Amino acid sequence: MSEAAKIEISGVTKSFGSLDAVKDVDLVIPSGSYCCLLGPSGCGKTTILRMIAGHETPTSGSILIGGRDVAGEAPAKRGTALMFQSYALFPHLTVRDNVAFNLKMRGVRKSQRLEEAGRMLERVQLQALADRMPAQLSGGQQQRVALARALITSPKVLLLDEPLSALDEFLRLQMRSELRRIQQEFGITFIHVTHTQMEAIAVADKVVVMNLGEIEQADSAEEVYARPHSAYVARFMGGHNVVSGTVESVADGTATLAGPNGWIFKLNTDSEHVSRGQTIGVSVRRDEISLSSGRSNGENSVAGSIRSVEYQGTYYKVTLDLEGVEDEFVSHVPDHEYRGLGVSTGSAVTASWATPQTHLLRGDLESDGGRSSGPYREH
Amino acid sequence: MKLSKATRYLQVAPLAILLFAFVVVPLSLVVVVSFYTYLHLIGIVPDFTLVNYIDVLSNLVNWKLYLSTLKFTFFTLAITLALGFWIAYFLVFHVRNILVAIGLFLVCTVPFWTSNIIRMISWKPLLGKYGLINQGLMSAGVVDEPVEWLLFSDFAVIVSYVHLYTLFMIVPIFNSMARIDKSLIEAAVNGGATRWGVVWHVILPLCKSGIALGSVFVVTLVMGDFFVVTVMSGGLSGSVTFGIFNDLKFLNYPRASANAVVLVIIVLIFAAGIMRLVDVRKELTR
Repeated sequence: MSEAAKIEISGVTKSFGSLDAVKDVDLVIPSGSYCCLLGPSGCGKTTILRMIAGHETPTSGSILIGGRDVAGEAPAKRGTALMFQSYALFPHLTVRDNVAFNLKMRGVRKSQRLEEAGRMLERVQLQALADRMPAQLSGGQQQRVALARALITSPKVLLLDEPLSALDEFLRLQMRSELRRIQQEFGITFIHVTHTQMEAIAVADKVVVMNLGEIEQADSAEEVYARPHSAYVARFMGGHNVVSGTVESVADGTATLAGPNGWIFKLNTDSEHVSRGQTIGVSVRRDEISLSSGRSNGENSVAGSIRSVEYQGTYYKVTLDLEGVEDEFVSHVPDHEYRGLGVSTGSAVTASWATPQTHLLRGDLESDGGRSSGPYREH
Repeated sequence: MKLSKATRYLQVAPLAILLFAFVVVPLSLVVVVSFYTYLHLIGIVPDFTLVNYIDVLSNLVNWKLYLSTLKFTFFTLAITLALGFWIAYFLVFHVRNILVAIGLFLVCTVPFWTSNIIRMISWKPLLGKYGLINQGLMSAGVVDEPVEWLLFSDFAVIVSYVHLYTLFMIVPIFNSMARIDKSLIEAAVNGGATRWGVVWHVILPLCKSGIALGSVFVVTLVMGDFFVVTVMSGGLSGSVTFGIFNDLKFLNYPRASANAVVLVIIVLIFAAGIMRLVDVRKELTR
């Protein structure tokens, strides 16, 4: 079982006409893990999912499930099951018949498939609604039916296409942990496509951040969130400020960067990773930045004026305008600290952080997917 | 929004007036006349007699006409249903370009750009004794003498019905098929359904309302037809309306009316049966 549901994608490209939806993607998803494909709409994440399911054929490259090349195999032969974004429940069948449908298509006889469907409905706590029609169910119930229908054939891999996007906020949080619980209970591989960062890092063992058909970073949720690989990932995941600077010197494991407006940033790194004269991007977590009133100079600090303040319950989200910097700069200030600062919109402030919090971004600094995909940047 | 009683009556008035003037009044007249007496050389005399109905129902020729009409209805329904379903299926699920689909859909309506008569006459050069098909068959050496049953036969009548009425089957089936969520097809395939499994277990049940509506169209059109059967059978086959027409020629309006009432009742039974099989109203609001 250990390797039975391992998915290996190598060199996969998918073109629609002249457009490459997926470009030369390599990805390994370990068996029994919960993997999230994360990215803005049109980044190719759903196309990858559909290629694994067998509803799209890669233009080039190969997909292995459990070590077996599945090229040309029918979806039902791959040991995968796809849960559709709109759930795609059959409107003319009862809940029980919907769940039993895949067994019927596999030639399981009636009494047995209805019994199995009944048992599966118990596992998702829907036995009481077995004789209803899908139209009579709420969104959350419909989703559980779709889940039961997908799981009834005991797939090795469950593919979920934006499973939570049709639910309201409360149900979404509830179903999110439910999905994680089911994944652990069944011990199968889940591949979950989403454009919501918090959803991905809450459930996934492995988060794959995508941009324009390519993988930007594939790592554990903690890695992706705390140590983004590129400016794109830092911006897309949110929770980070991205600034850039030119390396002035590298010595004793610390690089000194000259940023805009004469700001000086310090970065713990060595000459293997950066060299003198290079322009690099760094990110700093929003919750690691402290504010002080007035403008002052010093390393690892930037000055500007407060554009907006939003109260978030446990902290204030303070957005700064920095002169000559296009990116907004945000600090999450604990509420007691903020009240002690005595600042408001328009006040001049200085934001600073400790050197260990400066995080080096590799990859293309100008790769700008995060900025152009506006609505997904916030969370 | 709360409407006053008067407004609501006003809103249904146009349709109600239309239906009253063109359905209720003429039909009532037919029913009333069907109980009148017909006296030879004198005409129609108001009366209440069941003689016309007894005449209609005890006449063996009339029974044969009904049987013939049912036969035509059955064959036409079966063929238009098969054709209509697969043409709609092709247009909805196989033609990827929506413009091409619309174009092909319009092609289906081309026969309706000309009148019924021209459409039927145009079969004659094809099916006639020395028509294209017979010429082809003879020059290919398949037959030595022209095949007689191509024209002026039940075959010709059914060919014409299929030609004329398939569109009435395509349109409602196309309509209900086009509303099927494509992800349902993928979900069925994902669950292991074959191409036939998808058609049988997903598409067909979801097209029931379209099939029912199309069937009602075809059944009522064929059962009420007089023209096609007369022209295309060359008078060799008849339909119920043929009997009604004969009575009208002798100004026997009461018996024609009785026959018409019987026909209407049979058509209504068919339509009600189809509607019972499929709850069209429920399907349409789905």
